Amino acid sequence: MSTTEELMGPGRPELHLEEMVLNMGPQHPSTHGVLRLVLHLDGELVISVEPVLGYLHRGFEKLAESRTYLQYMAMISRLDYLSGFFMEWSYVRSVEALMGVRAPKRAEYIRVIIGELNRIISHHVAIGDFMLNLGAVTPFFWVFRDREDVYDLLEMVTGQRMMYNYMRVGGVRWDLPDEFEAGCRKFITEFPARIDEYEQLITDNEIFLSRTLGMGIIKPKEALDYGISGPNARAAGIDWDLRREVGYSVYPEFDFDVPLGEHGDCFDRYKCRIEEMRQSVRIIEQALDSICDGPVNLKLPPMIRPPAGDVYRAVETPRGEFGVYIVSNGGLRPWRLKLRDPTFSAISMIPKLTAGNKIADLVAIAGSLDLLMGGVDR
Amino acid sequence: MTAEPVRLRQPEALEIARELMGKLARDITISDWHLVIEVRPDDLPEAALRLRDDERLSCKYLSCIIGVDYVDWMEALYLLRSMDHSVPIRLRVRLDREKPEVPSVTYIWSGANWHEREAYDFFGIRFLGHPDLRRILTREDYDTHPMKKDAWPHRVRRTEWRWENIEKPKRLPGETDRRDRS
Repeated sequence: MSTTEELMGPGRPELHLEEMVLNMGPQHPSTHGVLRLVLHLDGELVISVEPVLGYLHRGFEKLAESRTYLQYMAMISRLDYLSGFFMEWSYVRSVEALMGVRAPKRAEYIRVIIGELNRIISHHVAIGDFMLNLGAVTPFFWVFRDREDVYDLLEMVTGQRMMYNYMRVGGVRWDLPDEFEAGCRKFITEFPARIDEYEQLITDNEIFLSRTLGMGIIKPKEALDYGISGPNARAAGIDWDLRREVGYSVYPEFDFDVPLGEHGDCFDRYKCRIEEMRQSVRIIEQALDSICDGPVNLKLPPMIRPPAGDVYRAVETPRGEFGVYIVSNGGLRPWRLKLRDPTFSAISMIPKLTAGNKIADLVAIAGSLDLLMGGVDR
Repeated sequence: MTAEPVRLRQPEALEIARELMGKLARDITISDWHLVIEVRPDDLPEAALRLRDDERLSCKYLSCIIGVDYVDWMEALYLLRSMDHSVPIRLRVRLDREKPEVPSVTYIWSGANWHEREAYDFFGIRFLGHPDLRRILTREDYDTHPMKKDAWPHRVRRTEWRWENIEKPKRLPGETDRRDRS
């Protein structure tokens, strides 16, 4: 046996110790789309991270200026393709506020039911992808098995599995089909047991705990400073949910809790999402019980011409506060349309969260933030 | 745990903002359920600091920064919110369109960094004192700021894209065109 000195001594190749620059992405399975992270590494240790955006930039805001209000409906659900319903919801809320109209009550109930179903499948992907990032493949298939049940319901209502284009200014496109209620009730009675299954598989898993506990801690003050919202902020203990604080649509009628974390680490963010799925089930149940009959949309002309003015309306999406700011000059098309996406703020925090950690932990932190580039790059 | 949220009503918030801003604000109004405060570009950091550090309004959360091109002038709009009081605030800064410049608020809210880069990218608004003012969504060598109203003078004329003017694809025998039927 030779000693280390002999192996690395004179005459042997030198060991180069230098900072290494590594591009993670834009095509990397654990960056959730086309996010590129420029990593400066010291071995396994991350010195600094610089996210590079724009690989999915489609000019959503500019395109809005050349489309009528109804034409833009078909685009907006493509923005954040996992929770397209919330994008539509936020947009129609803004246009309705501009026009000073309110959707009929039945339409609001339908929006809440479909929206909460959409929240469930979005959290499915968040949890499944997070576990995939950590190397656990099974949960990914489990959540995708259960997503299919929701997809069937959404397809029954909207005719599409992902890009719904179901909302309209002043209501929804058409009423719920007759079979929907039975199917939805069947799903919400079965689903809580499925959540327990996920928890049995994931929550007490020792590997999962050792990878996530105390990892990527967001303090409440930092979360506010960076404009983080949604489950990421609530995991840090910020008691803020637009559904409750603003009370838009018919949410004030429902009884639900806002799950909070204590430490703001990866585990808390995962746990918040699991609890939010349970709360979504509660909301859907109450909405199905109290839904009223009546028309589902207002009779508005196809060429909407809102009065001049500006509005900002936001909804609580699975990722946080998504808002639409519209400036109208009284014409057929918006003068300016701005989309405020929660993931944009969350990604801007990655350099702060990951510096000083290992690469494998960077993947865990990025997964726990539930990144989706569709909304970020717009 | 935080204390029970204190709900300020808008008239109260308006009074507090008037008292807090003093001569800094050019105009304070309530519009679209928001408290809209208009300030001059030079006064922006001072106004932002006062709004953030005041205990009653405590705008610790910057939702986003919006640039708007009104052709005659440009505007930067800061959407602020307090997590305790639930009064959304818009801080409005009117800019010279030929030379849009405004002091950066990155040192007040860290999240402003990327929002300012975005407004620079889309509108060419220069945020003075920003640590790293580069394009963020469009490519680095893009020669224009695309959201300005005069950025694309060569607009496609929409009339050219009518169905009648497009060369129709060849059809297989027995296949009918969906549009012909209707």
